Amino acid sequence: MTESERDPNVEWIAREARRPVESSAGVRARVMDAVRSTPLPVRPRRGMGWLTAPRPLALSPLGSTLLAAGLVGIGLLLGLAVTNRDGRLPTEQPTAVAATAQLPVHDTLQVHRFELEAPHASRVALVGDFNNWSLAATPMTRSADGTAWTVTVKLPAGRHVYAFVVDGAKGSKWVPDPAALRAPDDGFGTANSVVLIGQGSAT
Amino acid sequence: MTDDAADVRRVLSGDVEAYAALVDRYYDQCARYAVRMLGNRDDAEDALQATFLRAYRALGRYQERDKFSAWLYRILVNQCRSLAARRSQHERVFVREEAALLNAADEREAGWTGEDEEFVQRVLSELDPLLREAFLLKYIEELSYEEMAALTGVGVSALKMRVKRACDRLRERWELIKHD
Repeated sequence: MTESERDPNVEWIAREARRPVESSAGVRARVMDAVRSTPLPVRPRRGMGWLTAPRPLALSPLGSTLLAAGLVGIGLLLGLAVTNRDGRLPTEQPTAVAATAQLPVHDTLQVHRFELEAPHASRVALVGDFNNWSLAATPMTRSADGTAWTVTVKLPAGRHVYAFVVDGAKGSKWVPDPAALRAPDDGFGTANSVVLIGQGSAT
Repeated sequence: MTDDAADVRRVLSGDVEAYAALVDRYYDQCARYAVRMLGNRDDAEDALQATFLRAYRALGRYQERDKFSAWLYRILVNQCRSLAARRSQHERVFVREEAALLNAADEREAGWTGEDEEFVQRVLSELDPLLREAFLLKYIEELSYEEMAALTGVGVSALKMRVKRACDRLRERWELIKHD
């Protein structure tokens, strides 16, 4: 709708609604009081930030297999080394490393892989409460066969609400994860999904 | 470096009071949106407090390649949505369109005597929340459809339709009252 097509009466309503609203002086003070009693926000430090920030970890199926195989190999080698040094088998089997290879690599963060079938998309991003719904923070990677988009992120334990933002020929569209639980409808027409990250990570 | 980026860096380097500059810079604009969207000042204040506090806590993850105002607005829009969604249906200030038509009969009898401010708030509150949100972002905050799409996650064509429907509803409402 161009400016010239705007209805004068609707424009009058808009003009009135653009006037500043009276705001109680106390509210800003309360905001700052709450801020002062909140710990200082910290930007993730370089070097350490990569350990904690959700970020793409593109792993092809072949790459995942090789990584798992590598971890199994490391576990076996560690086992052999311990056996050789002590001359007996260790109490805890080192192959447990392989069993936990897909589980957390950090005390409080767990690796979770998101995937969406979107063969016609030109770009897909993961947005959620864990990245402040940023369209730029967590881009997804197209799979080798071009049909799916994936990203692997580390998330703290708990419930996370998220969605995919799919760029296609008709523009940008938010879509829920068809493979996940649906977040309660907020009544505003954008469906979100829920992932539950906990002990043993479950969707 | 913009004022916003400089203030964000000051906060992150330990100067909490620098956040007051950000609050002052955006408070009025955010307050206007929250009041117009939620229809009453108590809810708007809750949304504003939650928005500024949430933004503060997340400031470490704010990335300067995003515009601070757009980032803050995205949090505000989501807070207003959450607040509205948490209300049970009977507590909503938003009047459903059917109810609006019933109320309109009373107003015809009594004649409209309200102030402009009350009138504007009333007709906005009568809009469906989806339409009201789109109308406010387009006509009051004067965002482009692309900015609105990035903010709301709704496609441009759907947003255009919502704005048009909102304008149609407002025009109908205006006509109804004007002809009393």
